[in-house]
Amino acid sequence: MDFTIDAKMRDRLSEARAWGREQIRPAGLEADRMGAPLPVDHPYFEAFLARGDGRTRWPGPGVKPDRPRPGLVVLSLLLAEETAYWDRGVIVAGPGPGLPEPNVLAMGTEEQKQRFLGPFREPDRPRWACFAMTEPGAGSDAAAIRTHARKDGDHWILNGAKCFIGNASRADWILVQATIDPSKGREAQRAFFVERGTPGLGGFKIEKKMGLKAYESTSFSLQDCRIPAANLLGGEARYEQRAGFKTAMRTFNAGRPIIAANAVGIGRAALDEALAFAREHDLLGDARVRDRLEACARRLRLARLVCLKAGWLADRGRANIVEASMSKALAAGVAQQATSLGMELLGTVGARGDHLIEKLYRDAKAMDIVEGTGQIQRVIIARQLVGLPR
Amino acid sequence: MIDLELGDELALLVDTARSFAQEQLAPHFRAAEAAREVAAPVRAAFAQIGLAALELPESLGGAGLGPLARALVNEELAAGDPGAALALDPLGPALYPLLELGGEDALARLAAPLLADEGGRAVLVCAEDAQLRIDGERVSGSVPWVPADRPRLLVVLTAEGGYALVEGFEAEVLRGAGLRAAGAAALRLEHAPLAARWHDPRAAARARARARLYAASLLLGVLRFGAEFSRGYAQERVAFGRPIGHHQGLAFLITDMHIAVEGARLLIHEAAWRAEAGDDFAPAAASAWVETVDVSGWIGPACVQILGGHGFMQDYPMEKVMREARALGLWLGGADAAREEAGRDLCDTRPPLALSPGGLL
Repeated sequence: MDFTIDAKMRDRLSEARAWGREQIRPAGLEADRMGAPLPVDHPYFEAFLARGDGRTRWPGPGVKPDRPRPGLVVLSLLLAEETAYWDRGVIVAGPGPGLPEPNVLAMGTEEQKQRFLGPFREPDRPRWACFAMTEPGAGSDAAAIRTHARKDGDHWILNGAKCFIGNASRADWILVQATIDPSKGREAQRAFFVERGTPGLGGFKIEKKMGLKAYESTSFSLQDCRIPAANLLGGEARYEQRAGFKTAMRTFNAGRPIIAANAVGIGRAALDEALAFAREHDLLGDARVRDRLEACARRLRLARLVCLKAGWLADRGRANIVEASMSKALAAGVAQQATSLGMELLGTVGARGDHLIEKLYRDAKAMDIVEGTGQIQRVIIARQLVGLPR
Repeated sequence: MIDLELGDELALLVDTARSFAQEQLAPHFRAAEAAREVAAPVRAAFAQIGLAALELPESLGGAGLGPLARALVNEELAAGDPGAALALDPLGPALYPLLELGGEDALARLAAPLLADEGGRAVLVCAEDAQLRIDGERVSGSVPWVPADRPRLLVVLTAEGGYALVEGFEAEVLRGAGLRAAGAAALRLEHAPLAARWHDPRAAARARARARLYAASLLLGVLRFGAEFSRGYAQERVAFGRPIGHHQGLAFLITDMHIAVEGARLLIHEAAWRAEAGDDFAPAAASAWVETVDVSGWIGPACVQILGGHGFMQDYPMEKVMREARALGLWLGGADAAREEAGRDLCDTRPPLALSPGGLL
């Protein structure tokens, strides 16, 4: 058993910390003040690209991808925590193939990788891609989506609506999850590449949010949106039995610990700000304040450890469904407790609406909603523990 | 690099302790509770598997293992019967002041005679749990509760150091709220002569931290057992046409118990790993102890609740889980002293980045 963060990981964290302090935090505060996402031509994105980020992990045509390095998931969780410490919204806003990339790498044909990931190898400008699952009537219950796909010769016709999709209006392409038969549930789900400008893709509405304002959460519609058959992720053969739904769930299983790590980062930021405020205002002499800060720090450490365990299992290729959901359920709650405590220590200063803790308080709430609410995580865990029926 | 694999040696240790607890302790927990001791055949079986002197230095015939091994073994034994686990460990957490403050000389002089005498027990008392006063080389006062009927060695841990006594104290046997297999007594001291006295605040802090990990891992075992037992019951007991665990109110409670047990375990393991790595592990141990005690405050009653009326009856072990969890959480200064220490440590940390991963792990 070993809890050491090795020198390489420490270096990566130090770099992320410096980047976060100099770039991420200021960009996040700017977006929050504006009340709108960072525009696509914001200097942050150029700096992001110049730093070497925003690129695909796909090595190029015919090149065999490197085997994942040991500890890669754990490292990604630590980085997700550290960067979210500075601003989680800015992290999500970052250009790149983003959320759908793991699915494309795992299931995409070589031609699809070339077409859709190729432009992200050495991007000429900030480019985005996004994954669209959530619908007005299907949030955590991803099996209930109604966006419909109908085969029409060499094309598919998509109809439906998606909502709260990160970076959708600026994405080069959207990986849209749809069903070919809503009555058949999960096994009828498919994922389609829908490129920007495709007729029928429109109605983009960037939502006004309570927090995490740096990235856009966008609703859009698909009206008789005609896309080539070649845009079906992986081709028809991939979609036998229940593989379609698993496409989406694979993303979620990988995503939950990341969201949990983000939540720990937000909670840590709130704790540090609360500590600083309490010290500055001579509150640390009060045992009640110390006790509550201690509880906050302890629960954040605990959430981080659960999160790292989920990542460690993933690194080993072991099932992590319970641990992934545990980390998400736990960390989101802990982050909210941390930010709420921070607000309470601020007192009426918190009510002014111009303190970082107040922003974090708004930001943290989303961590208990995205990629399955805390209640859904408990349902998932309970299915494993007590066989809770579906 | 972060690696949560136990490794062959520790995995074998866990398997051994788990088998012993399930085969020798769990089936006899009511008998041991009634007898206030562990039966001789069980003692003999325990002696055979080599877990008896886990952390004792090899020079004194022990296995010389560290806090992580202790935490793992304690969890397993306590899942069988925490009182028996204590009864089977002659030194218990009293080992730590002897080791950290007194060194091997103190162990040889004070602990060795006890180890040679089957059933001899040492008890550790944190000074804040007792009313004791030192007058010259003698100690008077009282200790309200120790988890042993007739301890032979009393070790008292203070903030600055500690002291030990081998005579001059009388035990009044108590019923005990929990841990009855280990016994329970109040101690009265009348000018008891000091057998040893030590002054070393840093060593005392280490001893206290190790004692907290010892108690936390016992408590963890109790909670794990309670959570698992009540989970199993919830899958069998039917109400309103389906297993009670399929009602979301209980399903979520069971889920939260599982999360709480897993979280406490990770905090304990991380603190124990820190101790073995030579880090300053006292704040982590304090946190692990506080967390385990805090969650025990609701997990114990929840275990009873899931079983309903059966939970309240002694035909099932859940009432014992609730009592023992509460009693263990009061031990060694309880959670509040640890909470205060961890809180002060946190507040002394200069922001920003109080919990930065690089600094934490």
